[in-house]
Amino acid sequence: MSATEEQTSGASLAPPEPAGFGVVLASVGEPFLFVGRELAAMAHVLWLTVFYAFRRPVRWSEVWRQAFEIGNRSLVFIAVVLGFLGMILIYQSGFQAQRIVGDLQLLGALYLQMLFREFGPTITALMLATRVGTGIAAEIGSMVVTEQVDALRMNNADPVHYLVVPRFIASVLMTLVLSTLAIVVSFISGMWTAKMMFGVNPGTFYNTSFIIWGDLIIFGMKSLAYGIAVPIIAAEAGLSAFGGSEGVGWATTKSVVNASLAITFLDFLLSGFGYVFLFS
Amino acid sequence: MIEVAGITKLHGREVVLDDVSLTVGAGTQLALIGPGGAGKSLLIKIMAALVRPERGTVHVNGEDMLALNDVELARARASMGMLFQNYALFDFMTVEENIAFPLRQAGKLGEGEITERVAELLHQVDLPGIQKQYPRELSGGMKKRVTFARAVIHEPPLLFYDDPTAGLDPVTSSKIFILLDRMKRERGVTSVVITHDILGVRDICDEFVLLNHGRVVFRGTRDEIESSEVRFVQQFWRGESDE
Amino acid sequence: MSALLHVVGTVFLAVAETVGALTVLVFQLAWGTLRLQMDPMEAWRNLYKVGVKSFPIVVVTAILVGAIMVIQTGQLVAEFDAFGLLGWGAGFATLREVGPVMIGLMFSGRVGANNTAELGTMKVTEQVDALRALSIDPLPYLLVPRFVAIVSMMVLLTIVGDLTALAGGALTAKVLLGVEPALFYHSIDEYLKLGDFLNGLAKALFFGVAIATVSCHYGMSTEGGAVGVGRSVNNSVVASAVSIFLFDYVITYVLK
Repeated sequence: MSATEEQTSGASLAPPEPAGFGVVLASVGEPFLFVGRELAAMAHVLWLTVFYAFRRPVRWSEVWRQAFEIGNRSLVFIAVVLGFLGMILIYQSGFQAQRIVGDLQLLGALYLQMLFREFGPTITALMLATRVGTGIAAEIGSMVVTEQVDALRMNNADPVHYLVVPRFIASVLMTLVLSTLAIVVSFISGMWTAKMMFGVNPGTFYNTSFIIWGDLIIFGMKSLAYGIAVPIIAAEAGLSAFGGSEGVGWATTKSVVNASLAITFLDFLLSGFGYVFLFS
Repeated sequence: MIEVAGITKLHGREVVLDDVSLTVGAGTQLALIGPGGAGKSLLIKIMAALVRPERGTVHVNGEDMLALNDVELARARASMGMLFQNYALFDFMTVEENIAFPLRQAGKLGEGEITERVAELLHQVDLPGIQKQYPRELSGGMKKRVTFARAVIHEPPLLFYDDPTAGLDPVTSSKIFILLDRMKRERGVTSVVITHDILGVRDICDEFVLLNHGRVVFRGTRDEIESSEVRFVQQFWRGESDE
Repeated sequence: MSALLHVVGTVFLAVAETVGALTVLVFQLAWGTLRLQMDPMEAWRNLYKVGVKSFPIVVVTAILVGAIMVIQTGQLVAEFDAFGLLGWGAGFATLREVGPVMIGLMFSGRVGANNTAELGTMKVTEQVDALRALSIDPLPYLLVPRFVAIVSMMVLLTIVGDLTALAGGALTAKVLLGVEPALFYHSIDEYLKLGDFLNGLAKALFFGVAIATVSCHYGMSTEGGAVGVGRSVNNSVVASAVSIFLFDYVITYVLK
């Protein structure tokens, strides 16, 4: 029995290498298959998470610990980013409005509407994908490559139930809380910029007359969708890690890319939904 | 008793395990040896149903491990213990919480009894009083012994040790092998030991299986392996190279 | 109270240390680039890898961003019946602001995180030490090629991204609002200036420098095995995101 024997019986189980024109077809089909496989893996983790969340006792103390962790990790980060965002947006739109419309009366009202519909939930979610999602992927990925996940399974603790469910519930709750906070922070920083740059009275700037129920609904829908997507995508990336430190690096990169893409795509879908069903 | 038959496992296109069949008799301590990448760790993970093979069957004490549902699998795993190659200690738990984890998951014993058992076991592995420390504060040898304690605390009749002495100094290594030997003699456990330390397991294992490129190259007792005529087996056993 | 002061002081020192290290690194990298101190093969390999790897994701993001901007401006435009302003509204926001920022965030995720992960793995598996032992300086061999690749590809991909975003916007305008692409284009042509586009590119340049420097810094300061690599990638993408918004603010303010 020499080690160089190539023709092994198990090789017949592997899919055949494409040849000839098949190479062309394979290179066209591969990206679609890849996206399909990724989506299927995410759907599987989502399904398991929801299943365990309802069918097994939730470890609430762990949920609160994770919620605290999410808040603790991202509060300052989100406040800083959204603070800058408020200043930038008002600065840009103020100048344009002055140039084209010549009137800044409605700046605050339109800005608030935009924050609810678009920037509040979406930028917050992108930052949570960066801060919290990557953290979850790194944490779970490290546990996979150091065999801690196998050790959990050996002791009848399912990794999805044990690790993902608490992070999932905490993330859904905290995304709503932090998105609300993000709107407050960026509105205040915008108000301050409007006052300093264009002399808009904060009383005029604070104008909620444009906010309709649809804005609150779309805000809730987006926050909820992002809050669900980020931990699931991050957990899937972490659970699919293999190899050593390289595997953890891959998992975290995959998590931040997939989560950012998913947020942009959900944003597109929900904004379109809002435009068609809520605002016209 | 563990019986695996016709196990084939792929990693992408690569065949990692190729038609492996193996029986570990009740009360046997079997050493799984072979060069790195031979598929040893994968094989014991398949035995514990942590990994599903593409082809083949796994029977543990007569039960078809691949056909069990979650509840049955949980029951089957409660009778197994595994010492992982990379320690696999939960880094968010203290040493005590780590070792007690199998007992708490089983939920049969009271807290007082669990604490007592952990203390007793830590004493046995020569690490008394480290209950409140975290794994990151421990050296490699200490971590291996804590992992050992976690693997055996629920007194499983079946044990898997994945390279229990990797990267340890000779003194700590022999301490670990003494613990392994004691598990076999005093509790009569059935076990599979993956190791590169042939000198260490020579005297404590009943059977030796040599795996290479995902295939069983040799199996037999110490006498049989020492009298083997196959060049690769000879080389591996004695640690010689071609030159 | 003293505990609070201690926390504030520790955080402040940690931030100051990172900012200082980043400043030194960015000068080293820029100086190395100017003097062409880099391994040419590594530079070529990195340019290819960074550009090709992030092309699809930049295009997809840009199309979606263009579409979202049209959807969000759409309602306002419909309300005032000012369809001639749609291309300007969506285009201005995309070229100057949302385009570079979104592409920057995606780029940071795809390329920056990957760069930190790669360098971090090399660091914890002692490959960086091995290079030093062979008296190969990691700066020209590992870091400058990556810096050059990331900065140049960020700028080039923003150009591609801007165009695809406008195309995505035009398509959405047609499907959702019934605005003809010709009108959409006319609105862009009429109201937008080359300066708006260049403003976005200037931002992309700075975002690229920030992403490259931050990801190299966190990669090279990785410690502690697999866990350390995960932590480094996490810190790297967070720091990149903060620098993107910080530079965005500063550049917006400086280049009116």
